[in-house]
Amino acid sequence: MSHSTSESVPGLKQKKVFKIIVLGDSGVGKTCLTFRFCEGQFLDKSEATIGVDFRERTVKIRNEDIKLQLWDTAGQERFRKSMVQHYYRNVHAVMIVYDVTKPETFHSIASWMQEIESHGLMSAPRVLVGNKCDCGTPESRLATTYAQRLADKYGMPLFETSALLDSECDNVESIFMTLAHKLYSKQPLRVISIEGELGPRCVTLTRQKRPARNDTCLCS
Amino acid sequence: MDPYNTDEDCVNKCNLNGSPVLDRMSNDLNHTKNIDDIATPSELNFDQEFDYEEPEITEKKKEIEQCLKNPDIVNVDKWQSFARSKAGLISDEYRKVIWPLLVGVTLEELTDPPSLDELSTHPEYNQVVLDVNRSLKRFPPGIPYEQRVALQDQLTVLILRVIIKYPHLKYYQGYHDVAITLLLVCGDRASFPLLCRLSYGPTAPLAPFMQLTMQPTQHLLNYMLPVVRRADDRLAECLDKSGVGTMFALPWYLTWFGHSLNRYSDVVRLYDYFLCAPPLFPVYVTAAIVLHRAPQVFSCDADMAMMHCLLSRLPDDLPFEDILVVAQKLYEENDPTDLEPEVAALERREEEQRKLEEERMRRRRAGRVVPRAPLSSRLARYLPAPLRRAAPRRTILAITAALLAVYVYYRPDIFRMHPNEDK
Repeated sequence: MSHSTSESVPGLKQKKVFKIIVLGDSGVGKTCLTFRFCEGQFLDKSEATIGVDFRERTVKIRNEDIKLQLWDTAGQERFRKSMVQHYYRNVHAVMIVYDVTKPETFHSIASWMQEIESHGLMSAPRVLVGNKCDCGTPESRLATTYAQRLADKYGMPLFETSALLDSECDNVESIFMTLAHKLYSKQPLRVISIEGELGPRCVTLTRQKRPARNDTCLCS
Repeated sequence: MDPYNTDEDCVNKCNLNGSPVLDRMSNDLNHTKNIDDIATPSELNFDQEFDYEEPEITEKKKEIEQCLKNPDIVNVDKWQSFARSKAGLISDEYRKVIWPLLVGVTLEELTDPPSLDELSTHPEYNQVVLDVNRSLKRFPPGIPYEQRVALQDQLTVLILRVIIKYPHLKYYQGYHDVAITLLLVCGDRASFPLLCRLSYGPTAPLAPFMQLTMQPTQHLLNYMLPVVRRADDRLAECLDKSGVGTMFALPWYLTWFGHSLNRYSDVVRLYDYFLCAPPLFPVYVTAAIVLHRAPQVFSCDADMAMMHCLLSRLPDDLPFEDILVVAQKLYEENDPTDLEPEVAALERREEEQRKLEEERMRRRRAGRVVPRAPLSSRLARYLPAPLRRAAPRRTILAITAALLAVYVYYRPDIFRMHPNEDK
């Protein structure tokens, strides 16, 4: 996982636009997560995404305005093959989402990883997000340790969150900010330092499962 | 994440006795209330927007009602002309009877649907239920919870019935948006044969979307840019330059705009037209919308994301009557068969770009330098747009060589190093 050349983040210097593609099975909450991050609230009547949706938000990193472009993709496989291909072009970072209450959405992560690899994005910053952690009983939810093992295998940080809960708003924020900072610095990321830099809009990572050890998989 | 619980709040606000049901129209196509004893869909109330009615609409209503008194002797052309002309079929009461007639559904085809339990083993069941459960936006505001759930079950049954009847047809996300529009207007008995007609057959408009891959859909969407180009070359150039592609219009085409328009009245108005238009007509409507929004397109950055963002969100105040007239004119002036060479050229260009991209990816993975575009495509940039589209690679090289030769012939001095020294 060597990624420190300027090539992996094309357009960074000129435009300060980071393009993040959000992937995952149908109904895992990709649209709600991106909506939560960009609009700060839960999308009440979310619908199936047909093709590709686009949202963006400008964030500040070290006093610099950075535009995060989120490409929210359709989960159904038939859209993946020919249609979404075009949108992998110049992608800087990847977010893979699964539903913690639906093991099958977790099991298809392997095929999403293949997809990412086929687009040459294995060295791009990636995060794994288990969504809907407010749903079901603790027994019915996929065990964090199990998910963490897979996240470690692919070398990406794992987050568990809920796009629905207002209390999780900060956590959703921190997921995207993790990617943003990773893209910005391309240095081994110390997530703790985010708090100080952002000032009033600080990011708390209290719910993150392995804050200390995550650094090992975040850095290249 | 259960968004349903908010619905109970709305129960008291709903109004179900609103629309005036014409007794004389409850003919054979009107189905009886089903076991859930829910109201027939046409009794569902979407906000009626016009209090004032134009005289010509009042006149048209009278004429439609006259025809509905004795529908058997009315020619399908008559129904089509009602559906196409201004305001379309006006009311869901009329649509409920006329939509099945437009596509030639017969009474024998109206059958009772099977129960949901019988269908739940279908491999697409989960995907369909997932999408149906998320279709809340498509129901009339304030619909009682029980009624909405009953309609959603009917919707799932309707979709599964079609793909069980025609196993080679694949469900796509967006099909549920078409199905729900038919279900809300025509009810569960009539909407099944109606949806079958739209999905199966050589000229069925939804059939290309239901193939194994989305390739056929992609191909048909590619007709949009050539249509725009013939009407406004500069606009097409602007779209092309941004690299926006056709994805912004994909949900429009796949759902006949049902997914993307906020106003129910606009959706059913478009369906009136599409039910008696050629299968590719929605693509021409897409082109007409893009042409209508040309000023905004011109003032948008030539950036894929910005352009996608601008175009994919449809404004609520689009003048659809005008847009349909423009689309019809575009269709008459630019028949799909005429456009084929332009579409083929566009697809060739895309294919070349894709190959280039693949090559770049391969090199990037191997850690080598990104290659520049081949000589011919670099030269092509300097050619005028119409020439570029028509010209394959060899022609471009040949033309460039010829131009160079002519230039050298007329200005031989450039090849003499110091012409004056000879003296």
